Amino acid sequence: MKRLQDFTVGDTFELVREVDPYRPVYYAGASGDYNPIHIDPAVGRAAGYQGVILQGMCTFSWLSDTCVGYLGDPARLLRLRARFTKPVQVGDVIRIEGRCVAVEGDAVKLELSARNQRGEDVLKGAVAEARAGER
Amino acid sequence: MSVDRKHLGRRYGPFRFQVSVEQIRDFVAATGGGVPGHAFSSPPDRYHHPWTWDEEAAKASPHGGIVAPPAFATTFAIEPFARACSDPELAVNVLRLVHGEQEFEFHEPVRPGDVLETEGEITRLQERGNLDFVEVTTTTRNQHGRLVVKGVWTAIIRN
Repeated sequence: MKRLQDFTVGDTFELVREVDPYRPVYYAGASGDYNPIHIDPAVGRAAGYQGVILQGMCTFSWLSDTCVGYLGDPARLLRLRARFTKPVQVGDVIRIEGRCVAVEGDAVKLELSARNQRGEDVLKGAVAEARAGER
Repeated sequence: MSVDRKHLGRRYGPFRFQVSVEQIRDFVAATGGGVPGHAFSSPPDRYHHPWTWDEEAAKASPHGGIVAPPAFATTFAIEPFARACSDPELAVNVLRLVHGEQEFEFHEPVRPGDVLETEGEITRLQERGNLDFVEVTTTTRNQHGRLVVKGVWTAIIRN
């Protein structure tokens, strides 16, 4: 596992996830969020979208996974926050990019962005805090 | 303001959730590029952390077994927020509602077999322009009475 000295300000990391047509349904089943806007294209269109939109918390989960991939241990993540700024739709390819912005003692701070294939932010203000010390 | 400020402090729960390894695996498959379930399923891709789904790898980890990915918190901690958004007393139009903001504070890893209890409270009701903000703060504890995760969930309603 990565050690504290392996974390350096300026480190970058990323995760790319594609929204295949079944992803909102898989996420509904796994999370319990069956809001019709995520599983019924007619409801999505009535709300002004091309079809269903992905659950924001699925994108949030990708954000979390991006941090965990960098941190090396799921239990190191202490805090994660983000604002949802643009709906994610079927066919979108979301690129999450993270950067280590501070290492103070064993506290590590990360900033992240999440953009679709058109370069539009789907999340903003994404920040994470972690503890990288030995347990 | 479409939501009456008298509802500030309104509470929901506690809601109980018993965690199984199957739920964790399904969540990991769904969010990790795989397919959940037991028929026609497929595991998450190699970018997903093995300690959250691979029993062998997890056994050899410092945790000694599978731990849920942090974002699994949404499955058990969302209920007070969902109840608030659909509470007839608040009379929110859910078709005009979006999940606007999310924050989690993770205190303790979640493991298969955990019995979790989540309570929530409306902690902010605010009007900004033609938008209403409804914030629900949730607290989840496990069967040992330990704080597992704190969540701050914000809905935005267009008026």
